[in-house]
Amino acid sequence: MVLIGIGSLLLANSAFAHHSRSMFDQTKQITLTGTVKEFQWTNPHCWIQVLVPDPDNAQAAPVEWGVEMGAPVELMRKGWKPRSLSPGDKVTILINPLRDGQHAGLVLSVTGPDGKILGRPAEAIK
Amino acid sequence: MIANLTGRIVMRPAKSAIVIALLFSFLYPTGAQTSSKKRVEVFAKLPDWSGIWELDAFVGQADGQQFSAEGQRRLKEYAAALRPSFTPPYQAAYDEIRKKVEEAVAADPAHPPATHQPLCEAPPFPATSSPGMFEWRVTPEETTFISTVGAVRHIYTDGRSHPPNDELWPTLMGDSIGHWEGDTLVVDTIATRKRLYMGELSGFFVPMSDQLHFTERIRMVHHEQMQIDYMVEDSVALTKPIHMTITHVRVTDFNRMVEETDCEENERDPIVDGRFRTVVH
Repeated sequence: MVLIGIGSLLLANSAFAHHSRSMFDQTKQITLTGTVKEFQWTNPHCWIQVLVPDPDNAQAAPVEWGVEMGAPVELMRKGWKPRSLSPGDKVTILINPLRDGQHAGLVLSVTGPDGKILGRPAEAIK
Repeated sequence: MIANLTGRIVMRPAKSAIVIALLFSFLYPTGAQTSSKKRVEVFAKLPDWSGIWELDAFVGQADGQQFSAEGQRRLKEYAAALRPSFTPPYQAAYDEIRKKVEEAVAADPAHPPATHQPLCEAPPFPATSSPGMFEWRVTPEETTFISTVGAVRHIYTDGRSHPPNDELWPTLMGDSIGHWEGDTLVVDTIATRKRLYMGELSGFFVPMSDQLHFTERIRMVHHEQMQIDYMVEDSVALTKPIHMTITHVRVTDFNRMVEETDCEENERDPIVDGRFRTVVH
């Protein structure tokens, strides 16, 4: 949860506006390079399903990752739009991975097919 | 109307009164129209809090809403100002809850213990420090606080008192009345749920007594910033009041409020067996 350990009396954290975030390890970052399977522009959070090939085995089937983002309106504030990504787009995604090792994470940034970061780069990535 | 012998037009008393009243109503507005004019005058003297606002700590988040370094610094500052001094029985309750939460987190750090359902329940009072965007609608009779994560607060400024005790019960937002001291809205709130939220308890609540009472002083410091001072009192649960100040900043990258708490659409971090899980596919 984003505010765990901060001791924030009166500060309603993300648990009230969707859910906890502490299942993601925000001390770690992983870069995924793959192809968009689906872009879910949905409440309470947007998700990208991305197919990531095994860099060491070109014959292996790609692994599907699910990466989570903010609510649509919060993403739109950062310059995203409902059709910013389409199936088949080549993307590079920087994430904080799930702690339990499943193929999922919390998105820090997405670099689109044109090599540019989608939306406006956030201070949190620095 | 009838004509008398001299040819003058005369009116029967009842009808003449109606005509005169109608005539004067156009020349000299009275009643509702007068109060409407007065209301406009009162309205014009109120501060302009229009626009969209957010808690300063949420500025600069990443796409997954990770906090910026500045946001984390602000949150720590807020937390440092918020160390409640509980009376012994309430300290014991706090210690017990904290111990349970710490044990639950240690047992399975990858799946944090869940706090409550539904996941998209509106933030509880004061709801001014939650994620999302806020609006303050100021009118002579009421200031309304609205957030994109489902909170609505009604702060009545028409001079009323709180309802009598036998008409009050604990609710998510409690009962708020306010008055203006210059450009500062002073808000008095009672009858919230008898509990306080504490971030260090992973979203679990600390019980409070029915004496829980909040005073807020809200003002726009300048065009880009609002400040809210809180005073939390509870003569049974606290040995001294809690005081803190938070800052709202004007949202400049968006110009409309869009609801963002529709957990039925695509909730992929559900609570399973009391813990958050993630649906990967």
